[in-house]
Amino acid sequence: MELFIQQTVNAISLGGVYAMLALGLAIVFSIVRLINFAHGEIMTFGAYGIFLALAFGLPPAAALLFGLAAAVVMALAMERTAFRAMRGADVVSLLITSFAVSEILKVLFQNGISPRPVPITFPPAWSGAYEVGGITIGVVPTVSIMVTFTALMGLSFILRRTVAGMAMRAAAEDIEMLRLLGIRANRVVAVSFALSGLLAGIAAVIWTAQRGSVDPLMGFFPVLKAFIATVLGGLGSLGGAVLGGFVVGMLEVLAQAFLPDSLAPYRDAIVLAAVIAALLMRPDGLLPAASAHRS
Amino acid sequence: MKLKSMLLAAVGVAALSTAAMAEEYVIGVMSAQSGYLAPYDGPAYAGFQFCIDEMNAKGGLNGKHKVRTIVKDTRSDIAEGVKVVQEMLDGGAKFIVSSADADPTIAAAQITAADGVPTMTFAGTAPVLTQVGPHVFGSYPADNQQGAVLAAYARDEGFKQAWLVKSPDSAYTNGGPEYFGKAFEALGGKVLGESLYTLNQPDFSAIVTKIKAADPAPDVIVTWAWEPDFPALIKALRGAGVKTQVMGGDVMDTPTVRGLGEVVAGSVHTSGGFPDEGSAYADFIKRFEAKTGTTPDNNYYVNGCDIAHMIEQAVAAAGSTDPKAVSAAMANIENGKGVMSNFTFKGTDRMPLREVVVARISADGKKEFVRRAIADPATLPKP
Amino acid sequence: MSGNALEVRQLEVRYGPVRAAIKIDLDVAPGSVTTLLGANGAGKTSTVMAVAGARRIAGGSVSIFGKDMTGASAEDIVRAGVAIAPEGRRIFGSLSVEENLRLAGSVLEDAQLAGEKSAAMMQRFPVLGERRRQLAGLLSGGEQQMLAVARALMSQPRLLLMDEPSLGLAPQMVDQIFAIIEELRQEGISILLVEQNAALALDVADHAVVLANGEVAAAGAPADLKNDSLLHAAYLAA
Repeated sequence: MELFIQQTVNAISLGGVYAMLALGLAIVFSIVRLINFAHGEIMTFGAYGIFLALAFGLPPAAALLFGLAAAVVMALAMERTAFRAMRGADVVSLLITSFAVSEILKVLFQNGISPRPVPITFPPAWSGAYEVGGITIGVVPTVSIMVTFTALMGLSFILRRTVAGMAMRAAAEDIEMLRLLGIRANRVVAVSFALSGLLAGIAAVIWTAQRGSVDPLMGFFPVLKAFIATVLGGLGSLGGAVLGGFVVGMLEVLAQAFLPDSLAPYRDAIVLAAVIAALLMRPDGLLPAASAHRS
Repeated sequence: MKLKSMLLAAVGVAALSTAAMAEEYVIGVMSAQSGYLAPYDGPAYAGFQFCIDEMNAKGGLNGKHKVRTIVKDTRSDIAEGVKVVQEMLDGGAKFIVSSADADPTIAAAQITAADGVPTMTFAGTAPVLTQVGPHVFGSYPADNQQGAVLAAYARDEGFKQAWLVKSPDSAYTNGGPEYFGKAFEALGGKVLGESLYTLNQPDFSAIVTKIKAADPAPDVIVTWAWEPDFPALIKALRGAGVKTQVMGGDVMDTPTVRGLGEVVAGSVHTSGGFPDEGSAYADFIKRFEAKTGTTPDNNYYVNGCDIAHMIEQAVAAAGSTDPKAVSAAMANIENGKGVMSNFTFKGTDRMPLREVVVARISADGKKEFVRRAIADPATLPKP
Repeated sequence: MSGNALEVRQLEVRYGPVRAAIKIDLDVAPGSVTTLLGANGAGKTSTVMAVAGARRIAGGSVSIFGKDMTGASAEDIVRAGVAIAPEGRRIFGSLSVEENLRLAGSVLEDAQLAGEKSAAMMQRFPVLGERRRQLAGLLSGGEQQMLAVARALMSQPRLLLMDEPSLGLAPQMVDQIFAIIEELRQEGISILLVEQNAALALDVADHAVVLANGEVAAAGAPADLKNDSLLHAAYLAA
């Protein structure tokens, strides 16, 4: 029982990171039809931001904020320099553009910072564990779950209650109509990138707190998983992305925890097979995007 | 088939004509500039080229054979590696130094097998890599040697129950803990269990939770995980309150791992060498710093330099630069003189028997010398 | 004089090699209704969308209240006093009725004014007030058209572009829409009305332009065009 509770905490914690990354992908996709494979590099850049801030002697809390800001700036810079020029291009051209951006950034990180992982050290008090009713639970997974839910609720508030959020939801339906109402589409797109960058930054903070290092390829794998999560949830559906992220993360941890070791090499295959089975039953994803898109 | 033999003939002619034109010895070097091998190939190549340059300044290998290197980027891609090895052979290479891992080395050795061109890995340590043929050599103390020395140390320190964390995705991450386990059990210890992870696994919490729940509890956790997996694993372990001693392979011997702070303090790892004051190794570091301005902060630099020494001694013993003669001479070296440590190929599977250092990471992130030992060939776990 | 609400001269719109609008001249006098008639594919929507800044203009000029707006962005054209209730309504179905209005009001940059406008719209179109919290996608066609008009009015336009407002609506709804057009004209808003229902459009309009195959086939006072067999020929031909 104790083992089960601990593994469930682990599962929710990892699922939460995937959910935030998937949501960032989905926000941008829903508005500009871009599957941003460079999203992982936004996360990596945020982590390097934390590393550099610590290296320059900033206190850890300030370094985290610096990392978040770095991720947002990177997301905005990406939109401005690479993706704005490609606005309206078809999905495949956009996808290839994002691959190019991703590769360029990876090489820049490698040559500009280091091909090796660099360490990120937070105060020991930030890790460690506590006990509830005789069950030991890690501080980092707990905090990451709280941060994740706060971020998701905050984003939900922005999307539901603010004009900027309404504009983003409207843009997902019909961005031309939004412009015909006089609302600056570029600004809405930029805000969506900034939000996706912020989510990637939060994911970077949690990721580095758990993993202790950042390397040029850091963002690739989690974003790959997040992409699977967005497809599972329903491409372009924000709620679906969050749900998909949690499902993929939980499947992954539970497979690691409870499958016999002899099946361990097939873990990813088993998780992906489960995703494919789900998609066969629900081809549009678990929570398909609400409205059909005009092309 | 026809094409292949024509190609080989062309290569042969090219090699002959190059040899005829100059007394220069061409060494092809695979060096990944990007991808997962870049952190190892980069330093290894820098150290190798540094010592080759020093030798060339004195007239070449043994003062006779000037060396020209052909260096090609593989992007850590095996197919690209095969391609560049072929190009280097076409360019007259009579010795190939291959990337710092078993898999690309095995692929390269299959290309060089036709002409028996000696092929030596920068730092691949999986003993299986030399099984491609008599022309393939390791250079760094192999995983089974490291595992055996570390297991002997663990037993001497009174550890009884080990838990292995390994990844079947690479010969290194899988083999190291296994060799440790075999040697540990041969010395009377017990392996309680093992956990498998995948390279670049996002999350180690499930593994950690399992280890924590193990009953009886292990008193040492052994892994050959590299970055970024090792930092993630140790953070997860310590984060969950597991304080068990951690021991690992030489990939833990990096500034990144030492920079992790409190979570790694007290961890023990193997290493290929240790720059004691006044040693040849310490002198190498000084010379390298003076010339390049870079501090060699890991053993790949000095091991690269030792590869130059291995080639020099093999060529001297062979009395020629003929590939087959060099291979045969290399395999026969006994107690050859190196900078990081001496090396013996004779009686081994062409994975040189070398000293292994056991080191501990101190609380302030420094590397502390613990012991230096050579694995006993009699009890060395077989690949 | 500040000139006409809208002056379109020699306008050309292309989709690749296909010319959708060819040398179109069109005026909307201040406070008047000009109707743009023509069959499907005659170039009406292309013309209106070009005026609104949503189609690239390949040639000619567009001036709005005396200001040259040729090639300006849709966002800037709204700021010049133009709003559109587009073909197919294009309300945001996943937003509530109120959110549709609030979003459109956000260009006013005066939150209080936007709030007042929104309240006024819900009084003017009581059905919208009743359904303010409902998702706009769940409204009936006629209600959606009301919302599209109300949404366009949120930015306080002086020139309103209406593209096929009666399309697909029940007859009573069509009457309501035309009553609203009449009201808006009384309030001094200039209107460019695209319609397939020529009879109704000619009743309400001050000036009419007929397009066929992308070109102006006829233009003049509604009364003149109404009895013109040429109009019907052009209208039915394409």
